[in-house]
Amino acid sequence: MGSLDSYLPIFVLLVLGVLFAALSIGVSRLLGPRRPHAAKGAPYECGIVPTNELPRRFPVRFYLIAMIFVIFDIEIIFLFPWAVIYDQLGRFGLVEVIVFAGAVFVSFIYLVADGALDWGPARRARSFGSEPGRTTESAVRRVGAAGGRAE
Amino acid sequence: MLHFAYLIPLLPLAGFALLSLAGKRIGNPVAGWIATLVVAAAFAMSVVVLVSLFAHAPEQRLFTQHWFTWFRVDRLSVDVGLRIDPLSVTMALFVTGVSALIHLYSIGYMEHDEDFAKFFCYLNLFVFSMLMLVLSSNLLVTFFGWEGVGVCSYLLIAFWFHRPSAASAGKKAMIYNRIGDAGFLVALFLIFERTGSLDYSTVFARLGRISPTDLVAIALLLFLGAVGKSAQIPLFPWLADAMEGPTPVSALIHAATMVTAGVYLMCRINPILHAAPDAAHVVAWVGVVTAFVAATIGCAQTDIKKVLAYSTVSQLGYMFLAAGTGAYVAAIFLMLAHAFYKALLFLSAGSVVHAMDGEQDLKRMGALRAFMPVTAVTFFVGWLSIAGVPPFSGFWAKSDVLENAWAVSPALWAIGAVTAVLTAYYMGREFFLVFMGDPRWQGARPGGEEPRDPGWVMRVPLIVLAACSFLGLFIDLPFHPTWTFLERWLQPVVGASLAVHHYGLAELWGFGLADVAFAVLGIAMAAAVWRAAVNRPRLEPRFLFMAWFIDWSYGRFVARPGALVSSFASSVVEARVIDGAVEGAARLVRGGGERLRRVQTGYVRTYAAVFVGGIVILVAYLVTRAGS
Amino acid sequence: MTPFAALAPAGLAIPHIDYTALLPELILLGGVLVLIGVSAMTPRRLPTGVYATMTVAIAAAALVASLRLWRDVQNHGAFTTVAHSVDVDGFAVYFLVLVSCILIVAAIIGSGYLRREGIAGCEYYALALISGSGAMLMASANDLIFIFLALEVLSIPLYVMAGFDRRRPTSQEAAIKYFVLGAFSSAVFVYGIALVYGATGSTNLPEIGAFLAHNVITANGVLLAGIALLIVGFSFKVAAVPFHMWTPDVYQGAPTPVTGFMAALAKAGGFAAFLRVFVATFPTLRGDWQPVIWALAALTLVGGAIVALAQRDVKRMLAYSSINHAGFVLIGLQAVTTKGVAASAYYLFAYAFMVLGSFAVVGVVGAKGDRRHDLEAYRGLAARNPVLATVFSVLLLAQAGVPFTTGFFAKFYVIAASVGAHSYALAVVAMASAAIAVFFYLRVVLLMYSTQPADPGDEATTPGPAGGGVATLVRIPVGRLVVQPSIALGLAVSVGVTVVFGVWPQPLIDFTRAATFIFH
Repeated sequence: MGSLDSYLPIFVLLVLGVLFAALSIGVSRLLGPRRPHAAKGAPYECGIVPTNELPRRFPVRFYLIAMIFVIFDIEIIFLFPWAVIYDQLGRFGLVEVIVFAGAVFVSFIYLVADGALDWGPARRARSFGSEPGRTTESAVRRVGAAGGRAE
Repeated sequence: MLHFAYLIPLLPLAGFALLSLAGKRIGNPVAGWIATLVVAAAFAMSVVVLVSLFAHAPEQRLFTQHWFTWFRVDRLSVDVGLRIDPLSVTMALFVTGVSALIHLYSIGYMEHDEDFAKFFCYLNLFVFSMLMLVLSSNLLVTFFGWEGVGVCSYLLIAFWFHRPSAASAGKKAMIYNRIGDAGFLVALFLIFERTGSLDYSTVFARLGRISPTDLVAIALLLFLGAVGKSAQIPLFPWLADAMEGPTPVSALIHAATMVTAGVYLMCRINPILHAAPDAAHVVAWVGVVTAFVAATIGCAQTDIKKVLAYSTVSQLGYMFLAAGTGAYVAAIFLMLAHAFYKALLFLSAGSVVHAMDGEQDLKRMGALRAFMPVTAVTFFVGWLSIAGVPPFSGFWAKSDVLENAWAVSPALWAIGAVTAVLTAYYMGREFFLVFMGDPRWQGARPGGEEPRDPGWVMRVPLIVLAACSFLGLFIDLPFHPTWTFLERWLQPVVGASLAVHHYGLAELWGFGLADVAFAVLGIAMAAAVWRAAVNRPRLEPRFLFMAWFIDWSYGRFVARPGALVSSFASSVVEARVIDGAVEGAARLVRGGGERLRRVQTGYVRTYAAVFVGGIVILVAYLVTRAGS
Repeated sequence: MTPFAALAPAGLAIPHIDYTALLPELILLGGVLVLIGVSAMTPRRLPTGVYATMTVAIAAAALVASLRLWRDVQNHGAFTTVAHSVDVDGFAVYFLVLVSCILIVAAIIGSGYLRREGIAGCEYYALALISGSGAMLMASANDLIFIFLALEVLSIPLYVMAGFDRRRPTSQEAAIKYFVLGAFSSAVFVYGIALVYGATGSTNLPEIGAFLAHNVITANGVLLAGIALLIVGFSFKVAAVPFHMWTPDVYQGAPTPVTGFMAALAKAGGFAAFLRVFVATFPTLRGDWQPVIWALAALTLVGGAIVALAQRDVKRMLAYSSINHAGFVLIGLQAVTTKGVAASAYYLFAYAFMVLGSFAVVGVVGAKGDRRHDLEAYRGLAARNPVLATVFSVLLLAQAGVPFTTGFFAKFYVIAASVGAHSYALAVVAMASAAIAVFFYLRVVLLMYSTQPADPGDEATTPGPAGGGVATLVRIPVGRLVVQPSIALGLAVSVGVTVVFGVWPQPLIDFTRAATFIFH
């Protein structure tokens, strides 16, 4: 299998990668001291350890912003090479990039209209109605209950 | 006049269309009369076509009527049309004739049923499908008719679907038929692959292109279809269960017409069977063994209709014996005679059941001859005919079959002869238990009306069929070549096939006397045992009552493992993996407190594992094939 | 959309793009922008019917454009565009037409569902259109990279649509599962592309085909491994056993009209590319991959049919039935003949309408909340709505392959192709599985026409007032079932296509037979 020779480095890399992962986990398990503690078991969050449960679900807007950022990020990534070879592309390139930017722009308008950038509580264009007194516990219960038979 | 042939199947189709659209509005009993009239008209058309066919010279009695090309793919062109030749016209004639009588009978039988119109709607659809089956010029359209009669049979068996037994009987009929149909379909594809056509004429003309082994395979696969449809070993148990349907259905579909479709198919493809003698032997042997086994089972049944059902299986076995020994004329003759006397027996039995308010147990009947004289006489005629007592038609048909069997193999003849004795015996048993002896039903019917003969709507078909059972003898008589009407009529289709002509007069008399002796012996045995007795456990062994445990073993060794495979496959995929993972994960997450119904991670991982397993196998397979 | 990736600063060659040839896809994507633009610009939420109407108009425009393209291809021959990475041949345009039809029916059916569930907004339609454009691109793609992009465009909206009913956790679960496993299969698919590229030096299908036709690779392990991974990627998309595990969960969890749409569209798009890549590009290696497809087809046929028998949830049962259908389409692929391709194409067409209609009925029976999918919910349906029961019977019987429906001819055609390719054993397996499949379809049909009262335990969660409780409990499921006009219209189209082309199949047969590859 002569032509496979050129794949040997990839194979070696694969083996090395697996070995490394296995070694790290194995070694830390073997050598690492295990002293469990409540604080260590607490979920890691930015900032202070919460003293009480939030009354409502944690807003996911952070993630929305992050995703919107990714979209524009990609647009920039596309625009950059286009800008570099703008001259060679000529009118064709201009039309294409306008179409592309237009698509992104319409999507952006849609996002804004949908309230993706609205900060502050409620006043979303669409509400799926959050119930008062919701906690993580109750959310889990709700999900569990709705996923199958009522308890 | 021949071009009016298209009306034969289209009239019942029109009846079906009318009844399915407006059946409820037309109502009871007009819907029944409409259905009966269209079938009677189709019968009249068949007579017209028959007469016009007579006007032509025997070798020119083949006409095809092209309706339209249903579809065309590459070389395959499926033309819907009719093939008018002596065989198909004979079939059309008897299908429409018997159907018309049974439609008429049903008007009386079903008069109190709320789904009266629906019943006739199905019946008309059945007649249409059956006519397409026999008249089609194309194997694929024949197959549609084949499927169509299967569906109608299913619908009609399960007509009283609120009875669980009826629903399950319908399902069983479907299962067994599907097995046969798969064989039929494979045969179709093979034929098409080898000859490039599905048209009967073209296929028969190109048989030379098919290798002998393929011919045997095709013949056997088609026979598998016939075995399913005609309830032969090993696919026969459904027919007994099919008796759950209304009695006219049993008479029409599960005795006279649909179940004979397999025999018709064997006769239709006689050039193929002729070219594949090995397959023909299989047909003959399966037929004769079925005839024997079913006859033994019939000796121990206690349900008035089940005796008749096994009797039908047995008689169909005779027909296959005939077809397998090349005696197609005998097969058709027996089919016609059987259609008359078995329909007669079923309708008589139906009258009994009707009069006894649904009672079907032989052991709770008796002495009915005094209360239902007409029915008793018609049943008696049917009995003598099926037993093979001359001069009834059954005698002549059965003699033809047995004589031809002898010509091929004395062993076939011997089994057939034993079966003939058994036939006369079990039908005698039924007759004695129902019509003679003491009335055993009075205790069970306190204050009920006495059973009596049905009204004229039901009585006319009985009398006509009884007359046919007798007059059927004139279809084909061996005494003189000019009297062998059926044989000469069918000769262009199936060739000169009867072995009768090889025998001298003395031999013929010998066979005839032997046949009479078998019938008399069976009747005498029945009279000796059942004239006075009701229960003879030693003569009704459980082994026979349970139909040789064949159905039972299918349930035990095929159906149950099948269900197990299915639920195992399902449980591996679902219960074990999913629920197990869910519960495990739930316990992990909630510490056994609250039950989480679903947690994704657990089993997506499992899915991914199966996925990776698939990848590994696939890649491993392909990479090992790699040249190095 | 993005020819930029192919550009290099030096010696830049701008590919010629024939925009008229891409018109159907462009119409769909432009339509998406219009939809979400309208949705953003209107201050108040428009009724879902408005979006549905717009979507139907957009898809109809795409259909017209596809049909014009079909005429051009038939009159002037097939061609490629965008630097040979897009095929405009009979096969591709056939699927453009099919996808447009699927979109129209899915929009009609979906609107009724969304109105009932009170889900406003244009998202369902926009996602459906994007997904549809992905399926179109998959059918036209002539380059492995392009196929991959199209695959993602097809899939990602489907992931979202599966989780569309945000209030129902099973829907979210379906989305997550579909997404995770879909991403996994995409990765495998890309790896397959990489290996094939490594072995042949191209991702362009005709170039790969030409390379393989003119060169004999002595050490073809890499190529075969790549082919294996491509098979895996496609098999996942079309739900072939053993890469089908996601199907029942996702089909069951997704909102019911989405399930129908997903089944019709993903199968059409997935198989279109599957057929093109293997039949048109790798025919020289058929000795190697044909047995694999054979095994996959046999497993899929038998597995789908057998497991479906044990299901009590109708959506799950139909999911396994769709797996069984995938097996039939694989038979056409396994034949590796023109006839096989035509048969598969026919099957996909027939299947699309049967499955859209079937799931539309399931959605109606599921009632508000989309939860009543147990077999018991179908008991006595004929009494509650005879027309609906008849329609569902026709669709189920068509799926079972009863003559004079498209389902019959579809099965007949693939099996004929299989026999023509001398794969007799597979033909027998297919027929056996069809025989098994009849039962689970019939079971539903029988239940619908059963008059026995439904099990009161089914309604036990909503006990009536004390005293006369039991009587009312039994009567609840017997109430008349209302079918919204839009769903009725969608069902009429589905059943119409199924029956009309079943009785008169010639136009559709001619259509599939003209749907040929460009390189043949």
